[in-house]
Amino acid sequence: MPHKCTQCGREFEDGSTKILKGCPSCGGKKFLYIREARRHDDVLEEKSLEEIIDGAGVEDVLEVKPARSSREVEVYDRVESIRILGPGSYELNIEKMAQSDEVVVRLDREGKYMVDILSMSKKKKRE
Amino acid sequence: MTFFVRTKQKISRFLKTFFKKRSSRIGIYGPPNAGKTTLANRIVRDWTGDAVGPVSEVPHETRRVRRKENITITGNDGQSINIDIVDTPGVTTKIDYNEFLEYGMEKDDAVKRAREATEGVAEAMHWLREDIDGVIYMLDATQDPFMQVNIMMVGIIESRKLPVLIVANKNDLPDASAARIKSAFPQHPVVSISGLEGNNVEELYEKMASYFG
Repeated sequence: MPHKCTQCGREFEDGSTKILKGCPSCGGKKFLYIREARRHDDVLEEKSLEEIIDGAGVEDVLEVKPARSSREVEVYDRVESIRILGPGSYELNIEKMAQSDEVVVRLDREGKYMVDILSMSKKKKRE
Repeated sequence: MTFFVRTKQKISRFLKTFFKKRSSRIGIYGPPNAGKTTLANRIVRDWTGDAVGPVSEVPHETRRVRRKENITITGNDGQSINIDIVDTPGVTTKIDYNEFLEYGMEKDDAVKRAREATEGVAEAMHWLREDIDGVIYMLDATQDPFMQVNIMMVGIIESRKLPVLIVANKNDLPDASAARIKSAFPQHPVVSISGLEGNNVEELYEKMASYFG
């Protein structure tokens, strides 16, 4: 019933949430599901971990992939130069503003964008 | 003194018509409430007798870029430069109208001020990209210089290869520490002044004349 890390062989209880972030011991991302009946095969039949893995079906191997949404985008990697959080509340991306004159404005948190096309087409103003 | 300065300016203007040397544009940048306009006013008053704009303890008083042209600054050693002073709105990464409410401002005015301040930052950055030849980066010496916005701005100015003179302002206040600013930006000259009281501005003029000249 438990999962076994295919890299270091550490066993985890069934339904353990620890493996969702990879093996805490070696960081391995692949886990083999072992049926209770075959749990002690590696010792009884003197099989190495690799042999057990080879013998198991693909469906028994669980691969944990890091969730993409958990990666928070750095403020300064964002596309918008000005983010409007609400009336009178703004977040400014100075590095974006330093790079170009294009102003991309994000409204609220709904993913609505305003792009000032007029300012992009305007010729460079010299006073 | 004023007479001397005026005469000198007339001569330099006269000479300029022959040599057509464009005066360099020096932008005063920095976070809100560092004393940018106070310094701009002092420089302009000292050398032309004029003023640039109003100052306030409420942040983001300056929300448009203001420019004063053709100022001749002479250091004690006689070296002089001709510059345009560009006073810019305070650059920051977050503007919220609630900040202004604490100063007793009405909500509508505060929201309007926040919007104008945001446009001001965009304008300041536009100038930095297009029209600035040198930067005076102004810091309140009583505040922590290691704020992200300062590190970023100095980095941006460096990447544009503009000469930058860092001014540690408000040295009349007991908490001021120019040493802290020097340790934050060891790669640039730092001058400790009080724009309000006029402490040590002579050294600043001297440095400006030699550094931007």
